Amino acid sequence: MRMHRNKAMGVLVMIAGFTAASMEAEVLHVYSHRHYEVDQKVNALFQEKTGIEVKVVNAEADQLIERLKSEGADSPADVLVTVDAGRMQRAVGQGLLQPVKSEILEKATPAALRDAEGYWYPFTIRARGIVVSKDRVKEGEIKDYADLAKPEWRGRVLARSSTSGYNQSLLASIIAADGEKAAEEWAKAVAKNLARPPQGGDRDQIKAVAAGLADAAITNSYYLGLLLSSPDPAERNAAQLVRMVFPNQSGRGTHANVSAAGITKHAKNVDAGRKYLEFLVSPEVQKIYSNGSFEHPISMDLSLGEQIGKWGSFKVDETGFGKLGELSAEATRLFDRAGWK
Amino acid sequence: MRETGADGVWIRVAAWTLAALVLLPVLVVVWRSAGEVGRAWEDVVENRLWGYVWHTMLLLVSVVLLALAVGVPTAWLVSVYDFPGRRWMSWMLLLPMAMPGFVAAGAYVDVLEALIPFYVWVRMNWGIDAFLKIQEIAPWVFAVAVLGTTLFPYVFLSCLAVFSRQAAGALEAARLMGAGGLRVFFTVAAPMARPALVAGGSLVAMEAMNDYGVVSAFGLTPLTPGIFRAWGEGEPVVAMRLAMVLLVMLGLVFERWQRGRRRFAGDAAEGLMGRQKLPRWLGLGALGFCLLPLALGFLLPGWRLAEWAWASRDSAEWAAHGRAAWHSFSLAGGAVLLVMASAFLLVAGQRALGSRSMTVAQKIGLAGYGFPSALVAVGVGAVVVWVSRNVPWAGGLALSASVSGLMIAYWVRFLAVGIQPVSAGFEKLPGSLREAARTLGEKAFGALWRVDLPLVWPAMIAGATLCFIDVFKELTLTLVLRPFDFETLATRTYRLTDEGRLAEAALPGLGLVMLSLAGLIPLTRWMRLSEK
Repeated sequence: MRMHRNKAMGVLVMIAGFTAASMEAEVLHVYSHRHYEVDQKVNALFQEKTGIEVKVVNAEADQLIERLKSEGADSPADVLVTVDAGRMQRAVGQGLLQPVKSEILEKATPAALRDAEGYWYPFTIRARGIVVSKDRVKEGEIKDYADLAKPEWRGRVLARSSTSGYNQSLLASIIAADGEKAAEEWAKAVAKNLARPPQGGDRDQIKAVAAGLADAAITNSYYLGLLLSSPDPAERNAAQLVRMVFPNQSGRGTHANVSAAGITKHAKNVDAGRKYLEFLVSPEVQKIYSNGSFEHPISMDLSLGEQIGKWGSFKVDETGFGKLGELSAEATRLFDRAGWK
Repeated sequence: MRETGADGVWIRVAAWTLAALVLLPVLVVVWRSAGEVGRAWEDVVENRLWGYVWHTMLLLVSVVLLALAVGVPTAWLVSVYDFPGRRWMSWMLLLPMAMPGFVAAGAYVDVLEALIPFYVWVRMNWGIDAFLKIQEIAPWVFAVAVLGTTLFPYVFLSCLAVFSRQAAGALEAARLMGAGGLRVFFTVAAPMARPALVAGGSLVAMEAMNDYGVVSAFGLTPLTPGIFRAWGEGEPVVAMRLAMVLLVMLGLVFERWQRGRRRFAGDAAEGLMGRQKLPRWLGLGALGFCLLPLALGFLLPGWRLAEWAWASRDSAEWAAHGRAAWHSFSLAGGAVLLVMASAFLLVAGQRALGSRSMTVAQKIGLAGYGFPSALVAVGVGAVVVWVSRNVPWAGGLALSASVSGLMIAYWVRFLAVGIQPVSAGFEKLPGSLREAARTLGEKAFGALWRVDLPLVWPAMIAGATLCFIDVFKELTLTLVLRPFDFETLATRTYRLTDEGRLAEAALPGLGLVMLSLAGLIPLTRWMRLSEK
């Protein structure tokens, strides 16, 4: 008799199991420019907490935008993620996103760094600072981006190519603050000071400063964090030889861009999309980003990460933030004219 | 006997449809580049165009010179002298052909960084100006070395054919009359090898002009990456105008290649020459001279890749590599079927009909090889964009539109790779065979299918192998035209290298090398047979 009961239970459990498996799990489709390990971790956590599976398609932001355009109402995408406010502005301009109303998002993100009408919200801050050699550059010798343009820095500066979106957005912020002419002069002078024609990414510039090729390099701060925690001991040692400077602290602040997310115009799963956006700014996820990719939390709460805590607090340039998108074409043109490859 | 009637008409229509399709990308680019662009083009002309053209020429000249400086003497040594390891060298010098430039570049980019202590030494001892100069030159040295040492086998191969067979009689005679080695080389061998030099050198030049992976790894900006950049920045008309500039430059080279090839192909072997044994030290010197480019273009990068691949085997993303490999195999497989079917139709049709229009159609088919990759990419890309925007049911099929675009692009570029062996295969056949078949009542298609095809089958296989490898390691077209979120082994290797993830790039890179090596086997066997 007992045996029978056990068997019956077993059958019931099996049936329950089959039903659960056949019920399709809720899925959120994300088009994302971000392809870091930390994002996979965050998405897995989202699924664990909400039961919603996150399916990500990775590509460059411009390709994603083109893709959304050509797919129109048929697009499977619910959420667009990029690492450039300018790109998000462009997506809004092309009617690819829809506004989201959420108290959680409004509370968690600074008004100056998000879309006024809620078409997209930022979730990490990516500061473009300057890395200098601890040995060869005295404290306070480099304080502003303008210092890199001084003649005594000839052959001592490194930067990646002007085709990089990070540099274009930096120059766009300088155009917004000082005007086209001053921005061009700055670009020209820095291009003249470069120790080598631009090559490689931000990491390569940091490593080259550590190796002594030059004394300062323009780089996003999180790349230094990534090198400091690299599995490769040579990279860790190199990162110890340099120091992070957040420029323009007595002026408008350090240029920063944001990782940002918005819900697509034709999203099939708006609710899950909003949940995902809110999840991205939750303290738990912000902590994962601060310690995983070393980007700054959108709240700038430095207690969230050990490394960003060591770098200390700094002021973010909010003045030209809303114009980064429209000025990036101009920035590209100025770089060309300045001979910054 | 000439074909007439319905079959002949159909063959003609099919051949001309194919020829028109080959011309399509160029026509699109010519037509679209006449369109309005406004300021973007002016900006490019003002700030970038001259740099693009100058860098393209500089790259071209230096890579070709290096390939000649390596390819000619090695071919000379291997065919005229006897020295330790000569037999090995005669086929090993082909190995760099299996090392795609962008894969080799991945094995060298960190060496550029590793030289930093030397640059610092230069700054301390020779001053800042010398330092800056060296910084400017170093990436060029690396890019030219990588391209030159991976492409020189084209020169080696074409010269080897001349030195060891075609010119053997004349060389032997000159030597019997008492001329020394160097004198024979300059007075007899070099002039005779001129068409071969031109043919091999122009192949090198075309490959160098189409390269995207190597130049971008070292931060150089000739035209091909310039076209990519404009296309990526959403300026298709600028991209197309730049592509026109490249087309003109490449067209000049292609024309030289066609002429050189015509003059030196077809000559029959005159016999073999006895090889002169080199004294011990000179012999070792000769071996060293052959080993150097082989090491730089194959052994060294291959060894580094193998080492990295082994070290990263546990953390390798096998699933992603596997998917990319599957894409590479299926794309190459599909393209080969299209290319070989078209090549057979064009060549066999021309033979069957013998008409002038068929000869022209076949020539157009060959011309695709002379189109710059970047031009084919933006030309086909524009068509794909147009189709997915204007054909209502294609919107949801963007993936298939893009894959078909990629197939067509491969087909345009590599149709010549299929046509040449097939055409050579047909030349060996007596025409009387199919005429007999026709007299016995076979239809034109039937004769093609049942008589010609089985006879040229070995040539078809050779063409298919070459074409498969070309598509498998193709990077430039694939980067532009691949569907969204879709990678091949080549694009994956390139992207990982570009992101500085050199160790992870090694595994897919090594996969490309292995496959290309397998493709070299028929080639080396053919060489050894021709030596016997």
